[in-house]
Formats: sequence, structure tokens, C-alpha cells
Amino acid sequence: MKKLFNNIYSWIDERVQISDLVKFMSKKYVPIHSHSIWYYFGGVSLFFFIIQVVTGILLTFYYKGSSEQAYESIKFIMSKVEFGWLIRSIHAWSANLFIFTIFIHMFSVFFERTYRKPRELTWVTGVLLFFLSLSFGFSGYLLPWNELAYFATKVGTDIVGVVPIIGEPLKLLLRGSEDVTGATLSRFFAFHVMLLPLIFSLILFIHLLLVQIQGMSEPVEEKVKGNMPFFPNFFLRDLILWLLVLNILAVLAVFFPSELGLKANPLAPAPAGIKPEWYFMFMFQSLKFLPSKILFIDGELLGILLFGSAGVLWLLVPFWDRKTARGQKNRLINYIGIFAIIFIIVMTILGWVL
Amino acid sequence: MNTTTQKKIPRKDFFKYIINISTSAFLILIVYPIVSFLKPPKQREVEVSDVKISNLDDFAIGDSKIVRFGNKPIIVIRKEKEQFIALSAACTHLDCTVQYKKDESIIWCACHNGKYDLTGRNISGPPPRPLDKFVATLKNNELIITKASS
Amino acid sequence: MKVFVVSILFYTILFSQSKKIDQCFQCHMEIGSIQAEQFVNDVHKSKGLSCSSCHGGDNTSDDDAIAMSAKKGFIGKPKPDKISEICANCHSNPSKMKKFGSSVTTGQMENLNKSVHGKASTVANTSIAQCTTCHNAHGIVKVNNPKSPVYPTNIPQTCGKCHSNVVYMQKYNPSLPVDQIEKYRTSKHGMLNKAGNKKAAACADCHGSHNIFSAKDVRSSVYPTNIPTTCSKCHSNKEYMKEFKIPTDQFEKYKESVHGIALLKKNDISAPACNDCHGNHAATPPGISSISKVCGTCHALNAELFASSPHKKAFEKNNYPECETCHNNHNIAVTRDELLGVGKTSICSKCHSQNQQFKGYTAALEMRKLIDDLTEKHKIATSKIFEAEQKGMEVEEIKFRERDINSSILEARTVIHSFDVSKFKEVIKKGEIASDEVISDAKSKIDEFYIRRIGLVAAILFSTLLMILIYLYLKRIEKEKNI
Repeated sequence: MKKLFNNIYSWIDERVQISDLVKFMSKKYVPIHSHSIWYYFGGVSLFFFIIQVVTGILLTFYYKGSSEQAYESIKFIMSKVEFGWLIRSIHAWSANLFIFTIFIHMFSVFFERTYRKPRELTWVTGVLLFFLSLSFGFSGYLLPWNELAYFATKVGTDIVGVVPIIGEPLKLLLRGSEDVTGATLSRFFAFHVMLLPLIFSLILFIHLLLVQIQGMSEPVEEKVKGNMPFFPNFFLRDLILWLLVLNILAVLAVFFPSELGLKANPLAPAPAGIKPEWYFMFMFQSLKFLPSKILFIDGELLGILLFGSAGVLWLLVPFWDRKTARGQKNRLINYIGIFAIIFIIVMTILGWVL
Repeated sequence: MNTTTQKKIPRKDFFKYIINISTSAFLILIVYPIVSFLKPPKQREVEVSDVKISNLDDFAIGDSKIVRFGNKPIIVIRKEKEQFIALSAACTHLDCTVQYKKDESIIWCACHNGKYDLTGRNISGPPPRPLDKFVATLKNNELIITKASS
Repeated sequence: MKVFVVSILFYTILFSQSKKIDQCFQCHMEIGSIQAEQFVNDVHKSKGLSCSSCHGGDNTSDDDAIAMSAKKGFIGKPKPDKISEICANCHSNPSKMKKFGSSVTTGQMENLNKSVHGKASTVANTSIAQCTTCHNAHGIVKVNNPKSPVYPTNIPQTCGKCHSNVVYMQKYNPSLPVDQIEKYRTSKHGMLNKAGNKKAAACADCHGSHNIFSAKDVRSSVYPTNIPTTCSKCHSNKEYMKEFKIPTDQFEKYKESVHGIALLKKNDISAPACNDCHGNHAATPPGISSISKVCGTCHALNAELFASSPHKKAFEKNNYPECETCHNNHNIAVTRDELLGVGKTSICSKCHSQNQQFKGYTAALEMRKLIDDLTEKHKIATSKIFEAEQKGMEVEEIKFRERDINSSILEARTVIHSFDVSKFKEVIKKGEIASDEVISDAKSKIDEFYIRRIGLVAAILFSTLLMILIYLYLKRIEKEKNI
């Protein structure tokens, strides 16, 4: 058995030289310091992504992306297909935890100022991956074609329509028709399983490649106690964490399975308590808090523009944070980060409470 | 991945044995649901497309049967030896289950005295529209009931 | 000045021309023609029209060779398919009608052409009815003239010319009854009409005049969904109905009733309109004894059950109208379980109380409890099914069984009309058995869902074991390295 394995390995190695890669990998070290824990969140996010790909592919075996059959097909998956309930619940839970770990990963990188030279591109690709994950969440939410998803999508795409000039055409592009209809479902299905995975994988590849080439960043302020080989020491630790995460997912899927609710009925009045997914809640809630008119500008429009520019600024942090680039302390970054976290948490809680 | 890590350790010991066992057990735990997920379920499609009555010998001429089609009832009437009538058994008025009245040669709903003829047309009482039609096909002494293509 | 003189001259000539003796009329009177005699009182003659206005020719010439020459446009007796066109020449032309100082509306011809009477007749190229069919040809008088064939009291006879003629109607619509006039005469409307009351509805009041459509045509004023409005034109008009001393709130009540909502809001044409209870042509309110028969045409089972119930006798004795006593007449509300029992909303308590008719009081109390319990069970059953379904369990079979609960509740609401507790119990029992089954089946499905946790425990056990092993392994290699 072992011999066969070695033979195959050397057969491949002769042709594509994997041993170089293995050598490269084994030379990779992970710095050990008091903030080392944050290094794990990138890996966990990656693990969630893998789970999403696997369970997502499995779901497409039975899912039908049309307004007549989407709801029924998910019901079918849940009741007729063996372990269908598990696969779907894991896909749904993993999606939420995926975004949650990305949040943590991103903020830890932000506070550690890991985005500084030479890792500006790693930051940019990472933020792009974050935005893409949100789009994954938004497009995937509609696919069960249930009442809540239907109205949440309606509200969500309506918000897009507020943006001047490009808003209306963009809304139409997203919806595929004037209103949220079966055409929207087909589109969201295409986004969710074709377009987004393609772009995401591409950017993710660049992101990981950059991490491999540049190695782990060492913190500015913390004292590095030593180094740990990435392989196998860090990798095995990662593995333990992944197993733990898998356990958590299984528990969540069994004890809190995704429900399906009622089938979307475009003619029915919107049910009370339409809420977006929790990761959109802070934006949704802040838009609600804005007065309808600020000076002469539409309040909602202003909010969207503010969020839009905040996003752009966030994406371009490494380019405007000159101080860190010069090796100086930049307290402003801490303030911005803390403000963002507090803002997000407070608004999210308010969204759930109010 | 695990197997490669073990390969690096040359020592054969009990510890490695356990780790191998639990890894494979764990892999089975992962693979089993996935394989069963991919196995086609008994009911192939989202919608029920047909239902069978196989034991036709018990089905006397002039008798009727209520069969389940998904969660909807269907009334099957054996009119002649080889003539079957299949109609939705849910009264179009308030969804009670209808029955065949042989002596009057009608389909009758006990709830509000709705009456249908044997083609499913509402002929008396409150039903607002005819019963939905189904197609009954006799094949190898088996009756297959399918949705009528509109 | 010159212009003025010329125009005076012109008008004088015109005037004198029209004042000239009408040679056609003159001559035909002399030869004693019936048509000419009829024309004496014709409204058209009084407006200065001559025979030639319709028949063509020259009415100024006393030489019949000239007057009735084709050259002068003489057409003689108009061909059947031309008659209405000749009338329409003026009657469809508002400016011409104005010239004659007439305020009669125009557009009758268009309406007639669209109507059922405008369809082609068995005679080539002609429509079924011409203007003259109803209005006569030579002795046409105003509609408000009692001599007019379309004067309210004459209308039934006029319509009956064709509609009561079996042989004639056979040619067009063999299945259409021909007894409308006969029935009409038995109705209140018909009797008043006969007595010369022109306010009582005659044929045209409901069916329209020129724009008559088949009752199956949605445009018809007597199409089921239009009937209540048609009847209410008079019956909801307080002023109009004053002399007849009957209420005028039937339409208001009907609109809110279960029947009115079904017909007018849900467009369910199987729901009764006014005529379905009161009759079409023989319109009279059903008498006390026949109410249950009338309601029973649709609510057959209820009527049957009621007839065999103890209430039948009691109602007869007290002269209570059967269905109406509990359900009202025009404002029949949607029935609810609250109508049963002895509470404030109940009907039973109108007669039954702890002090009188005590047997009925206990029966009402018991039956209400039975149906309330079943509806409560049904609610639990549906919520359990929903819960199991949301957990992804297969519930189609249970849902199938659940239909029986619903059927039983509906059947109970019918059987209630037998006012027989044991019969009622029997029906409820079916539903109770079904709901007990459904609830326990759904519960076991929910339990089945939780059995999945056993699998979870196994999975967690193994993966935790694996985690520990990896950890130990890690510790070992790290220790080795340090050494």
C-alpha cells in the first residue's frame, strides 16, 4: 500500500516536481506570539468555503431553480432525500459562520495592520472576497423561494434601486424583471452557483497564493517568541480546529435545522417582521434610522452613498494609511476599527430588538 | 491528508493504529451521508406523477376506491371490466372527500350534498366547478393513474 | 341689403315648399288606405314628415307616375333589411333629430344591432327584430302615449307577440321557454302592470329595450352578477317604492350577505341572485312554508335534515319561517360555530334557556362543546403537521388523513340541522378519531426527527476522539523536535 503510494508520488513528481512545492511549504513558518490565535481564522474561513462548495454541489443535484419548483424541490430535499435535511442545514449554517469568521479574520488583520507593505494586494483581494461572500449570502437567501426570502430580496433590491443613475438599471439587472419574480430566482441561482463561485475561486486563489509567497506577517507591536513550522505543526492545529468547527456545525444542523417556512406568494401582503440576514442587519437598520430627508438629499440615498464610500475606503486602507506604511503608530486605525465594530454590533442588536 | 502525515512517521505503534481507525471511522461518517444523499430517493421527482393499483382482482366492477396521490385523494371507479374513471376526490366546494353512489350513478359529497356526474361535471349542489380529471391506464393488469395533460 | 332680401326669399320658398299639400298622404287617404289612416296620428306626421320621407318619391306631385317614379327615388314598401336603416337615417343622427326639435336619444340602432335581436333572422339578410317590430310602422306614437306598443303596460303583450309564440321561438331558440308572459302575470309586477300601474317592472325594465342580450351574456342586465343591481334600480329607491309600502334595504343587506359576497365580490355565479329565490318572471317572495324548499334547492341536505328534526313541528306550530328564523333572509351571514350553543352570540338561546325549553338548551350546550373540541384538536393537528414538515419530515400521508378532520367538521356543521345530538356525535367522532391519529402520527414524526441526535452523538464522539489523537500526536512530534 505504502509502496504503491510512493510510486504514484514519484511518478507525478518526476513530471510536475511537487517535491519543490512540498519543500517550499515545509519551509513556511508561522510566528508564535500572544496574538497568534488570529492566524487561525483565515484557515477556518477557508474550511467553511470548502464545506460550502461540497454541500452546495450536493444540493444542486436536487434543487430546481424555478419559481414553480424551487420551494417544492427544497421540501423534497428535506423530506425525501436521505440526509437532505443535514446537507441543507449544514449549508445554511456554514454560510452564516463563514461570514462570521470572515468578519473576525478581516478585523484582526485590520487591527494588526497586516495590510501594510508588502501585503496591500492580499488585503484588497481579502476585502473583495468579503464582499463576494455577502453577495453569496444575499443570492442564496432567495433560492428556497419562501415568503421571508422573497420579501427580504424585494426590500434588498429596492435599496439598490435608490442609487442615482445606475440604481434603476442595476435593479433591473439583478431582478431580471420589474418585480421580484421567477426571473429573479433564475438569475440569483445563476449568480449563486455559476458567476460568484467562479470569481470567488479566482480571487481566493490569488489571495492564497499571495499568502504562500509572502508568508505570515509578523505583528508590529508584539514580541515574537519563536516560529512554528506551518507543516505539520500549524496544519495539525488547523485540523483540530476544523474538526471542532465541523462538530459545531453538526450540532447546529441537528438542533436548529433550517426551516422552510411558507412558499413565497408575490400577491400576498408582506408578513410582519421581515428581516434581512444578520450580516446585513446593521446596514438595514441604519438606513431605517435615517430621516427621509437630510437637507435636500434623500436620507436613504445618503445612507447608501455613505456605506458605499465606507466600503471603498475600507478596500483601500493600505493606500491611505501612510503612517503605518512609514512604520509609525497610527492610532486613527484603532479608532476606526473600534468604531466600526461598535457600530455594527449596536445596529445589529437594535435591528433585532426593535 | 491524514495518511500523508502518518507516512512521515516511520514508527509503527499502537497509537498510529488507533489514529488510522478513528480517521477511517470519521471518514465513513462523512462519506456515508453524502453517498446516501446522492442515492436517488424512492420518489424520483418533486411532484407525484403517477400512482398504481396493482391488485385489480379485488376491485369489483361497479366499485370505487379512494387512492392517495401525494396528499390528494383520487376516486377510481371501475365502470366496466376495462373501463376505469379516475377523478380528484376532493370536492371543489370545501374539499371534503367525495364518494361514488352506484344506485344514482353519481359522485356525491356528504358534506353539502354536492353532486357530480361520472365525467366529474358538477351537476347539483354547491360545487363551483368540475372535479379535476386524471387518466387511468390499464397495463399488464395494473392500473396506472396519471395527471391529465391539460 | 341684397343678401338679406335673397335669404328672405330663399326661406320663404323653403317654407312654402314644406307647407305645400302632401300629395302622397292626400291621395292615399282618398283611396282609403289603412296605412294613411294610421299615419294621421303618427308622431312623425306632426313633425312634418311625409310618406315620401321613408318611402321615397316626390310628395309635391299629384301625378302618381311622377310621384312614385324610381327617378324620384321611390322605393315602395321598404325591403325588410332596409327598414331599420331608413329609421336610423334620422334616429342615429343627432343633428337631424335636433332639427325636428326632438329630444329623443340617438343610438338605438347601434344598440339594436349589438343586441340578441340584431342577429340575422331566418329570412335572408334581415335581423330578427326591426324598429317596426315593436314600434309599429305607420301609427308610431311617443313612448309615453298609452297607445304605444312600448308603453309600460303594453310591453308584455308586444314582447309576447314573438316570445309567447311557440312556433316562432322554435326557429331561434328551441330551449327558451315561452311561458314568461304567463308567469309574469302571476307575479306582483305582472298584476300591477295589468292593473295599469306603469311603475311596476315590465319586460324592458329588467331586460333593457334596444340593448337586450341573452341572459347568458355578461353584458346583459339579467346576467346573474348584474341582477341585484338591476332589481335595486327600483327596489332600493325609497321615493319610487313609496306607494308600494315595502322595505327598500334588501340590496344593502344582500350585498353584505354570504350570497351577495359570493356573487358580487367573488363572481361565483352559482350563488343565488334575487331571482334564484324570488323567481324570474313569476317574482314573488316565497311564503313561510316554502322557504325551506327554496333554500333547499341548493342546501338540500340541510333542508332534508331540518324536515326530520324536532324543530320542524315546533316552527310550524309557532308559524316561524324555517331557514329564515335562524339565518335571516336578505342578510344571511356566514355561518360560524358561535351561532350554536347558549352564549351571547348563539341563536339557540333565542328560544332555549335554562328556564324554558331546557332540553334544547343542554343539547345546544353539548353540541357546541363537541364541535369546539374538534376544531381545537384540528388546530393542534395542523400545527403538529406543520412542525413536522418544517423539520423536514415526510408528512404527506398524515396530511391526507388530516382531510378527514376537516370533512368531519364540515359535515357536523351540516348535520347540526337535524338537531339530534347522537347523530351529531357520530360525525364528530369520525373527526376525533382522525385527529387523534393525525396528532399521534405527527408527534411520532417529530420524535423521529430527534432520533437523528443519536447519529449526531456518534459523529461527535468520533471526531472528538480524532481531535484528541491529533493533539496527542502533535505534542509528541513537538516534544521529539525539542529533544
